[in-house]
Amino acid sequence: MPRRPSRRTQFLAVVRKETLQTARDKRMLVMLLGGPLLQLLVFGYAVDFKVDRVPTVVVDGDQTSESREHARGLMADGTLRWVKGGKSEDGGGSRNGRRSSSSANVAPPPVTPSVGATSGSPGAEGPAPLDRLGVSGAGPMPVAEADAALVNGDAAAAIILPKGFSRDLARGETAHVQVVIDGTDPNRATVAGAAVAGYFAEVSGDLLRARLAQQATRPATASGGISLVPRIWFNPGLDSPPFMIPGVMAMLVIIVTTIVTAMGLAREREMGTLEQVLVTPIRPSVLLLGKLLPYVVIGFLDVALALAIGAYVFDLPIRGSRALLAAATFVYLLSTLGVGLLISTISKTQQQAFLGGFLFAMPAILLSGVMTPIRSMPLWLQAVTYLNPLRYYVEVLRANLLKGAGWSDLWTQLVALLVFGVGILFVATMRFRKRAV
Amino acid sequence: MSAPAIVARHLKKRFGTFVAVDDVSFEVERGEIFGYLGANGAGKSTTIRILCGLLEPTSGTATVAGHSVAEDPEAVKASIGYMSQKFSLYLDLPVAENLAFFGGAYGLSGRALRRRTEEVLELSGLAEVRDAQTGSLPGGIRQRLALGCAVLHQPEIVFLDEPTAGVDPTARRIFWKLIRELSRGGTTVFVTTHYLDEAEYCARIGLMVDGRLVALDTPAQLKRTHVPDRMFAVRGPNAARASGPLRQVAGVRNVEPFGAGLHVRAEPGRCEAQTLRAAAGAAGHQVEVEPIDPTLEDVFLAVVGRSAKKEEDGA
Amino acid sequence: MNPVSRFFTRIGAMAAKETLHIRRDPRTLYLALVMPVVLLLVFGYGVSFDTDHLPIAVVDLDQSSESRELVRGFTASGELEVAARPANAEEAERLVQRGEVLGVLTVPAGAGRDLLRGTAVELQLAVDGADGVIANQLLSKSEALARALNVKLSPLDGVAPPLEVRVWTRFNPSLKSAFFFVPGLTAYLLAIAAVLLTALAIAGEWERGSMEQLFASPVSGIEIILGKLLPYLALGCLQMLLVLAFGTWAFDVPILGSLPLLFLAGMLFLVGMLGQGLLISVVTRNQLVATQAGAFSSLLPSLLLSGFVFPIENMPRVLQWLSHVIPARYLVNALRGLMLKGVGLEAIWGDLVALTIFAVAVLGISTARFRRKLA
Repeated sequence: MPRRPSRRTQFLAVVRKETLQTARDKRMLVMLLGGPLLQLLVFGYAVDFKVDRVPTVVVDGDQTSESREHARGLMADGTLRWVKGGKSEDGGGSRNGRRSSSSANVAPPPVTPSVGATSGSPGAEGPAPLDRLGVSGAGPMPVAEADAALVNGDAAAAIILPKGFSRDLARGETAHVQVVIDGTDPNRATVAGAAVAGYFAEVSGDLLRARLAQQATRPATASGGISLVPRIWFNPGLDSPPFMIPGVMAMLVIIVTTIVTAMGLAREREMGTLEQVLVTPIRPSVLLLGKLLPYVVIGFLDVALALAIGAYVFDLPIRGSRALLAAATFVYLLSTLGVGLLISTISKTQQQAFLGGFLFAMPAILLSGVMTPIRSMPLWLQAVTYLNPLRYYVEVLRANLLKGAGWSDLWTQLVALLVFGVGILFVATMRFRKRAV
Repeated sequence: MSAPAIVARHLKKRFGTFVAVDDVSFEVERGEIFGYLGANGAGKSTTIRILCGLLEPTSGTATVAGHSVAEDPEAVKASIGYMSQKFSLYLDLPVAENLAFFGGAYGLSGRALRRRTEEVLELSGLAEVRDAQTGSLPGGIRQRLALGCAVLHQPEIVFLDEPTAGVDPTARRIFWKLIRELSRGGTTVFVTTHYLDEAEYCARIGLMVDGRLVALDTPAQLKRTHVPDRMFAVRGPNAARASGPLRQVAGVRNVEPFGAGLHVRAEPGRCEAQTLRAAAGAAGHQVEVEPIDPTLEDVFLAVVGRSAKKEEDGA
Repeated sequence: MNPVSRFFTRIGAMAAKETLHIRRDPRTLYLALVMPVVLLLVFGYGVSFDTDHLPIAVVDLDQSSESRELVRGFTASGELEVAARPANAEEAERLVQRGEVLGVLTVPAGAGRDLLRGTAVELQLAVDGADGVIANQLLSKSEALARALNVKLSPLDGVAPPLEVRVWTRFNPSLKSAFFFVPGLTAYLLAIAAVLLTALAIAGEWERGSMEQLFASPVSGIEIILGKLLPYLALGCLQMLLVLAFGTWAFDVPILGSLPLLFLAGMLFLVGMLGQGLLISVVTRNQLVATQAGAFSSLLPSLLLSGFVFPIENMPRVLQWLSHVIPARYLVNALRGLMLKGVGLEAIWGDLVALTIFAVAVLGISTARFRRKLA
């Protein structure tokens, strides 16, 4: 009988057993491989940060060819979509269409003054019904219906061109346009309001130059001023998938590795097999290493799968070094596995382990910049995210995949992940040893 | 004489305010089949866990296979096999894979592992089910597998915690055949059980009550010591109802229900079978009375009863 | 006792027993009452699209007092912040790659001279497109600032504009993200908690073996189901109350509509989600599988397909259809309407009907599947 069993033999025995068990469990395989696939596809297709085709009603009190021209012009770039009485008409521009960099969605937020447009909000009084805005509407869409459309949610913006609109313009007087925007979705409201203001600013500017040229008091060419030429780097179309998929990858890894590891160990404790294993000369560290190794492999597999799907289905670019990706994935896995291990040491049953892992993963995902920017969080919460390994991994993924960032750019994130990973694994292993059976 | 396989000295284990093991000391000889009896919660499993290095004692020492449990637990674990009370092998793996895993855990590999696996399969009569999923096997066969996994590495000592619980009589007999073979081969067997008929197979028996070791001897000696009285079995329809009148008979120490009838304990020489039959008959109960040898169950009841009484008196 | 009162008595007994279970299990109470509130606060603060002080790098190739003035004009309002002044484009790009700045504003050489001469100056703004939301905001704000600057610089300053546009923001004048997210968050949290709670309820009994006991009694399947549902419904209502109270208090979200309607919508939703959890536990008979299935079946759909964060109308047709079977979608819509817009029954009756249909369907299937035998 061997006096001191070799650690290598023990380690291999554990790895072999774990692999066999995982391979036999159909449900597990589905969750480990099929789940990510499904999530990627759903997230990739469902999530669209781009704001376009905002349903808009136009109350054309003027009913002239000019006013109709303006109505069409507003919908031209696809940000707004004309809705009338439930029917909708595409103003042009497809949802997934790539935009050229020069016509990027630009807009001022409603509160900043811009040429030819003033804005204000009734603010404290609460929302003002349209008819109180002093608009007497006549024409195809009565004002009340426009209001109802906003309230119903059929439209998110209403543009009112009053009677005499084009006549005022022709006469060289100031014409008035009124816009009401549904503020419940602030992001959408900002973009829609900006699109409207931007359009009318351009119209106004052109008109002004024309009028001045007519008056010939000053040379029209001496306009000077600045023009801003925007260029969008790395993701010219501002498509959402390149932004989302790194986040989804981080999500997948944490769900699969943390929850499954936690449950696996809790299961051994629940079934009593852990006791049987601990009575053998296997050292706890060898046991843990052997148990975690298959999940490292699975984690890498899932990442590779996600990258493949991302690239093939969603045109995800892979601009940076793959070695960096692998290294980042590895240190990230250290953290997620460590957390899974930690959770298993405080759980008596598989179910507790699952709930623990789940309740950790949910906030970790939502507070990592995956779906909403960390920048938008209050400072105290931003500080908390410094403790979230997902945050760093997502940063590395986005920078590496989309921007081609390299080791020297991302070393801080890698170090942070390493420190976390090692730290958490250490604490978890200590706890595991203590708890023994 | 070679050193004892297991030496326990003043072992004590406390969980909070509850004392599970209270100053337990004993020695187990090499090759001995040592039985450990006691009621549920008496502290048997805790003692085994301490000896296996799974639990740390609150105080006291234990030496197993010549190694100190406190100082060199790894050497202890390498020298022992353990079968827990609850079946604790992997239900989702086939029989052969369980053996492969635990063999590897004990450091067996390659040819040695394969050879030993075959031997164990043969020995335990599991050769035919080697590829069956462990969870699909009936209880008796599973227990044989658990024993097999415990002896793969041919340990000096094997700890068996209620190995035949819930197993049918035929399977139990097969199991004890295996245990006796192990002992013949020089392996020390430390076994706990509730089945007192099995306890008769043991060379010596320790009896635990409320964490204390209250008796330790061969079965025969235990019977002589703790049940010196004469025992009678009382059988018949409604024999149980005769317990009242029988208690009144001079010399009767105790009357216990036993199955559908009674066991009567009387001072030796004070009364005979006829006396008891007559006493029951006088009260209107027709019974048969027969002298019997005391069983370990009687020993158990006597010891536990006495301890309970002592506690009552002492408290 | 006639059959009807027996029916109610049995349900009452089951409900009472279940309530005792709940009271004795602190984990259930924690899951139901504490967790949603904690998550609400954490997510309420964490989930937002509002941004400010966006860091940019400025590459000033002109280095004149005019160019510096120009840059100051951009950053005066605080929406943009100069985080770095790299000397050239390469350095600037590194900063963007590292994520230290979100954009690079380049002032070309000769800008100051051109401004004084009255020639147009072209400023380049390169934006990090990786984060679409932030990129959009950066672009919007920059364009607005550029326009404002132009007004100041332009000789047309002071002339009456030909067109005046007045913009009103209805329903959320200060454009707070919380307004948008809190109703959805409420639905999300309630969904998860409800499904998890009931998934534990019946599946647990299967495993503990107490289900066998129940079958040996004259209690029927529907009575068991309703008896189990009621205490969790009460718990769910309490939960909803807590979440709404904290949500409106902590984030200043109004409730403009009728409270009774709000609770009606919430209750119908709860019944549906609890029923979903029950269905899962009836079908799986395994507490662990029930928990997992419950978590995943409520997590993804309620997050993605309910309109909580991402608007449904921008999704592909398939997903839009799918969202029709997600009760969270209807609750989010109803909550937003009731809380933020102050609508009445006429606007949300469709949502209420949909929620009712879902609840009835789920409970019906549960009862049908709940065969009163052990196998």
